[in-house]
Order: sequence, then C-alpha cells, then structure tokens
Amino acid sequence: MSAITVFSAKKIITMNPARPTVTHVAVRDGKIIATGTIDDILGWGDYSLDDSFKEKVIMPGLVEGHCHLMAGGIWKFIYVGYQDRVDPDGNDWPGVKTLEDVQARLADAEAKLGPDEPLVAWGFDPIFLMDRRLDKTDLDAVSSSRPIAVMHSNFHLMTVNSTSLSLANYVADMDIEGIAIGPDGTPNGELQEMAAMFPIMRRLGINFREVGRSRESVIDFGKVCNRVGVTTAADLINDLPDEDVAEMTDITNGSDYPIRLMSLLNGLAQPAEETSARALELKKKCTDKLRLGAVKIVTDGSIQGFTARLRWPYHYNGAPNGIWNIAPEQLNELVAILNEAGVQMHIHTNGDEAIEVALDALEMAKIQKNRPDLIHVLQHCQMADRAQFRKMKRLGVAANLFANHLYYFGDKHYELTMGPDRALRMDACQSAIDYGVTFTIHSDAPVTPMAPLFTAWCAVNRLTESGRTLGEYEKITVAEALEAITLGAAATLQMDHEIGSIEVGKWADFAILEDDPETIGAEKLKDVGIWGTVLAGEKHKIP
Amino acid sequence: MKIREKPLPMTVLAGFLGAGKTTVVNHLLRHAGGRRIMVLVNDFGELPIDEELIATKEENILTLANGCACCSMGGDLYAAFSAALDFIPPPDHLLIEASGVAEPKRIANFARAEPDLAMNGIVTVVDALNYENARSDARLSEILKNQIQTAHMLLLNKCDLVGSQDIERHKKALRKLNKSAPVLTISNGILAADIFFGIENPMPGSNPAAENEHHHSHESNFSRWSFKTEGAIDKTGLREILETLPSSVLRLKGIFKSLEDGQLWAVHKVGSYVDFSHLTTPDNFSGKTGFVAIGLSSSNLTEIMDKAFASLEE
Ligand SMILES: [Zn+2]
Ligand SMILES: [Zn+2]
Repeated sequence: MSAITVFSAKKIITMNPARPTVTHVAVRDGKIIATGTIDDILGWGDYSLDDSFKEKVIMPGLVEGHCHLMAGGIWKFIYVGYQDRVDPDGNDWPGVKTLEDVQARLADAEAKLGPDEPLVAWGFDPIFLMDRRLDKTDLDAVSSSRPIAVMHSNFHLMTVNSTSLSLANYVADMDIEGIAIGPDGTPNGELQEMAAMFPIMRRLGINFREVGRSRESVIDFGKVCNRVGVTTAADLINDLPDEDVAEMTDITNGSDYPIRLMSLLNGLAQPAEETSARALELKKKCTDKLRLGAVKIVTDGSIQGFTARLRWPYHYNGAPNGIWNIAPEQLNELVAILNEAGVQMHIHTNGDEAIEVALDALEMAKIQKNRPDLIHVLQHCQMADRAQFRKMKRLGVAANLFANHLYYFGDKHYELTMGPDRALRMDACQSAIDYGVTFTIHSDAPVTPMAPLFTAWCAVNRLTESGRTLGEYEKITVAEALEAITLGAAATLQMDHEIGSIEVGKWADFAILEDDPETIGAEKLKDVGIWGTVLAGEKHKIP
Repeated sequence: MKIREKPLPMTVLAGFLGAGKTTVVNHLLRHAGGRRIMVLVNDFGELPIDEELIATKEENILTLANGCACCSMGGDLYAAFSAALDFIPPPDHLLIEASGVAEPKRIANFARAEPDLAMNGIVTVVDALNYENARSDARLSEILKNQIQTAHMLLLNKCDLVGSQDIERHKKALRKLNKSAPVLTISNGILAADIFFGIENPMPGSNPAAENEHHHSHESNFSRWSFKTEGAIDKTGLREILETLPSSVLRLKGIFKSLEDGQLWAVHKVGSYVDFSHLTTPDNFSGKTGFVAIGLSSSNLTEIMDKAFASLEE
C-alpha cells in the first residue's frame, strides 16, 4: 500500500457541506482518502505530514469551464492591453495606458526582433478608440520598414502599418468593406473582420489555429492555468485530429503538466453523423488528465460584435440582428443525433434568440430520446431570461455564464447592445440559483483573462469597467461564486464525481491560496493571492 | 505582394438549406470542361458531393467549419483559405459552397481583399418550391433576403416542380429584391459551367469557331457575343456601359487598352459586379484585345451588345 501524505493548512474550504471547513486533508495515490482534524485521519494508518501550507488556505482546484488553448499561445505576440497582465513565464506586462505607451512597448519589442520577423501585438483595448483611433502613422513611427500588426482585444479588428498595407497591396481605396480609409483617401491601417485581415495575416504568418495547437501553446496554457489556481480547464473548440490528440496526450501525461485538460470537438466541421462517430471515438482516448468526447456547437456570434441573435426588441441601438452559424432547423437535427448517440454538447449561445433555438432543439431531442446520463450546457448564455432558466431546469440543461462580460463589456451592453433592462439581468447567476440550474462562470480566455477568482468577483459584485452596478438582483454571494468556479464547473464538464470539492474519493486537486476568499471581503475577492496548485497530490508552485 | 503567379478566381455559391446548392456543385464538377475546381464546403446540411466526381476527396474538397470569431479567433477561415491558396497543383477555380445561413458577401470579401484571389461573383440558388415558406420564418428571413440581395446571379432551382405562374411570381419577388442580377430558371441544378465560372478564354480570336457566332449551350438557350477591337478605350465610359447593361447579359470578359494610361486592362462583369484589373503578366497573351459576353438568347444579346459598344467607339 502506498504512503499517505497529510497536508495541513490554516483552513481548508472543502465545498462538502457535511464538512465545510477542515484543517487537514490526507492523500493516497493522488486521491483524497480523508479530511478533518489530524485525529480524524489517524485511523487510516501511517502518514507523512506536509505542513508547507500551514499558513495558507486550501480550496478545491479551480475549474475553468470555457477557455481556449490560445490563451497560452497568444503570448508569442507582444501584449499591448490596458490591464496589467502576467505572461505564462511570470513576466509582468504592465497595462499600456496611452497611445504613446503602446508605441513605446512596440518600439521596445521591435528592437529585439530579427531582421525578417514581423512585429505582431495583441490585446489592444477599445478604450483607446474613444477619442483618436490608432492608425498606420502611429505604427509607421515605430517602424517604416518592418511589417507591424496590432490585434485588438476582440480579435475582430487589427491595425497595421504602411509596410504591412503595401504587402497586401492595400494602397488605394478599393471600396472593400472592412478596409478603413483615412482622410487622404488611402487605407489608414485599420482592418475589420477576417476577410480584410486575412491578406495581412497570411503574409505575416499570423496563424492563430497553428499557434493555438502548437506544443508550446499547450504547455504555456498549463502555466497560465497554474498561475490562477486552475487545475482543470476546458478548451472549448478544437479540430482534434489524431496527431494533435497524440501530442496532447503526451504533454498532459507529463508529471510536470499541472492541469487536467478537456478539449471539445468542433461540431460544425463535418456532417452530424461524422461528428457523432468522431466524438465517441475520442471518448475512448480519455486519460486521467486529458478528457475528450464532448462537442462544441456555435449557434450565433458575439453581443459586443452585434452578431448575437436577439429576440424582439433586438439591439438597443437599432443595429441589425446578428448571424447564425447553423440554421435552427439544422441545429435541431444535429442536436438530436448527438443526444441520441450519447454525446455531451456545449452550445455557444449569446443572444436570447440563440438560447431559445438551442433550448427548443434540446427539448425536441429529449422528447425523442431521454438521456439522463448527459448534461448538455449552454455556453455564454448571456441574455437568458427567467423563463429560459425555468426551461433549462425542466430540461436538465446547465449554463456556463460569461460573468467577465459584466466587467469588460457591461457598459457597452447597457448603453449600446442590450439597453438597461436586459443588461441588468445579463449573465443571471441568481436566476440560475433561483431555479436550481447547474451553472458555472467563465473567462473565455484569451478573450478576457483567465482568473476564476476574478470571474467570481464579477458575479458577486457585477461592477462594470466604469464602476456601474449592473443589476443588484443577479449578484450572488461569495460562497455561491466559489461553488460555481469549482463544483459548478466540474458538473458542467460531467466531472463532479471526480473533482470540484475536497471529498473522499476525489482527486487531490487543490488551489493553494495566500488569503481566505471567504473572509477577505466580496470587493477583494479578485485580489486573493495564489501560491500555486496541487494536482493529484503533487505540488505545482507558481514559478 | 502576390504569392501566386495568377490570382485564383473564386465564386461563392450561396442559398438556403435545401435549395439545391450541392446538386449545382455536382453538375458543375461533372461538366467542368477540364477546369481544376477546388470546392470549399461550408455546408454540412445538404447532400454530400458525389465522391465519384472527385479524384481523391481529401485533395479537392476542403471544409470550412463555422464558428464565432470570439471563440476560434477566425482560425477556421484562415486555415481554409490558406489551404486553398497554397494547394499544389494549383486549382483553376475556387468554388465556395456557403452554408445556408452564411452572408455570401462576407465570404466574397476575401476574394476582393486578397491579391491572390479574384472575385468571380456570388451566385445564389433559390428553391422555387420552398422559397415563400423559408421567407416567412422570421429567424431566417433576413439572411435569405441578404443572400438574394447580394447575389450577382440568381438561380431559381426546381423549376420543373412548380407551375409557370409560381415561377413568374417568384421571379417578380426576386427582381424586387435584386434588380441587377439575372434570374435563371433551372431544374436539377443544371447550369452551364461557362455561365457559372465565367468565360474561359476572354480573348476573341483564340477560338475562331466561336467568334461572331451564336452558340447554343446544351442546357439552355444562351448566346455568345464577341467584339474585337484594337483601339484604346475610355475606362470610365466602359464602366458606365457595363453597369447599365440589362440583366439578360449574364457574364462578360475582356481585355483592352486603356485610353487613360495606354496600358492593358482586363475587365469582368457578373450581374452588377464589374471588376477592372491591370494585366500585369501578359506573357501568354495572344495580343488580341476585345470582349466576350454570354447572355440569354431570348434577349437579343447581339443587338443589345452591339448597340452598347457602338457608343463606346464614337
Ligand atoms: Zn470561447
Ligand atoms: Zn464565443
């Protein structure tokens, strides 16, 4: 029989209502064998005591239920965002607060590049677009010979310099949507949407898919998770060809890889039957640390991009309704086929019409064949109203709410996209609780930074970037938010029998905290210090 | 910067679910006339493309998954277009079978922006059987309208399955939404490849048999018109003429010397879309300049074209 290690801590928050807080947790073979006081544990036999966390607080390893591997790979490019960030290797990237800061950051990076390398930056914040927009002349000042591309934080816009423009022959007004024209009648460097950005990306070699699936990205992704206390994360869309699965298996098997990784198959890349067959095949390739077999389906676009599908009265500013990625009729078919086959679905739905259509599809599929073994999840689910939460409850459908939106895009939703009524109830965590809907909250990193305690802070305080409180009623308590980022997320990944709480039989996956999130105060939840994590009993201190 | 030697012509085939896009694709592949066609499939709801028509499936058919840019960072679009552009051997034509809910213009914009692609038009298939039904679904009516409005050519398919009164009613409805695009009535997705892909060889004279002669394609009554001219042509005037041609002129291609800069230009027109481009590498150029058009033979194409181009020569 292998040895027992007992970790002691100032406080252990278990998420197990039968023993909510304890001082000791005993681990054997990577799993929790006992919790309680040292006396409670003694009966299990010999143990070695590890008291390195005696001044720290332990909680279940945090679970990020919706993010992307790109959150690791994106750091290959230069960060020019407004908020302070730390890269996977622990380097500080202070937020750039003015256009001059942006230029200085770029000039700095430019000086370190080889002669033929393009300069690519990411995370540029729309806050800079309030008065004067960044344009090619700002970037020409950084370099007039090296191609430069600055990706905006929403990934829908980029600004490039004159060298990049001429590479793509963007030298005159070609009357193409998405290529902005300056006062002199020539492209000013701002490019909108993929069609306009593609020629530049192709010539500069900015290939996000390759970046995201690269070995370094998967490794860096693990580091990003570790820094924020995450021990299980779901990569929400992937093509998952065999060679990538083999590589991901190899990387995650490494004892130094600090997380359990779930990766979802793109459900719109092949006919429904093929998706279903591939998902079932992938399910057989699961390991303790790599989870496969679930499918992602994208129905609409994004609210901030005005591409989400909204019900009447549509967009607050009168913008036309958004786009479908799959026709409702076709979704019905796909959902029915996957449900019947026993494949778990995570359905991207931002607008309330997309939510309605997805719920109708799930309802029909469940009438055809009830699969109580499956919990399907609406991802983002931002505009759901209370009737839709009641329907989710009725259908046994879970929600992963995009709480980070409250902070990052809440003002925009209040003023432009949804208007006050719907903005005040967006990402309605309290409604989910009211109706007993299984739910979690997410970052969608790299769209917004991964940090579940920040995401929890968003759900608890509902503060926007400008300081507005976005809907008093939908605020949840700290305890509820902590459950959402552990057990709640684990449930949406159908892993709540293995992770999400510190209970006998579950994996010994812990977040090791410097402060107590239960007592630090709701407004400071995002500031809880993180030492690192424990995965299956192994310590992973943030380097 | 062009990476390819010659831009790859790209046509977007749009149309709502079940309208018969794949039938059209299958027919075009069967009658490609030696063109190497790469198909980028963005719709997984329709019948699959006939596998017999494709030498090796992996090689000539690429798939383009749908996704929200916020989740995929546009990675799918990037991968699909770069695969098509880097493909060896290079195809002669890129045909994108857009998904039933795609805005074809968004896809067509890739061809307009990318120097290695040449925009060859948006063709939208409309289901004569189910059109009115689909238009009445509030969740889809806008996108269907968008697909019709942004088309350069409209194919009213399944016309063998509806009465002539219905066809006329649909045609009227389509013209109300899109005045400039020709509406072709077809059945079983049957359409001449020249009409879909454009005229293969724009240089009149290189195919003497076809010159100045009415040509009847095997599927339907289309005629061909051509015009040889050595003289320099006023580009602005030409654009005006092309833009005012009736919609019965389906496609036009030409090479001419410009009065403004004395250089050689290529022009191509599909529906209301007129595109001029500098003829940069005329190495295989026959030296002959002129224009070729295809139109509905019922419309007196020769008369229309001769009249339009007469004003140009003055
Ligand atoms: Zn996402
Ligand atoms: Zn998304």
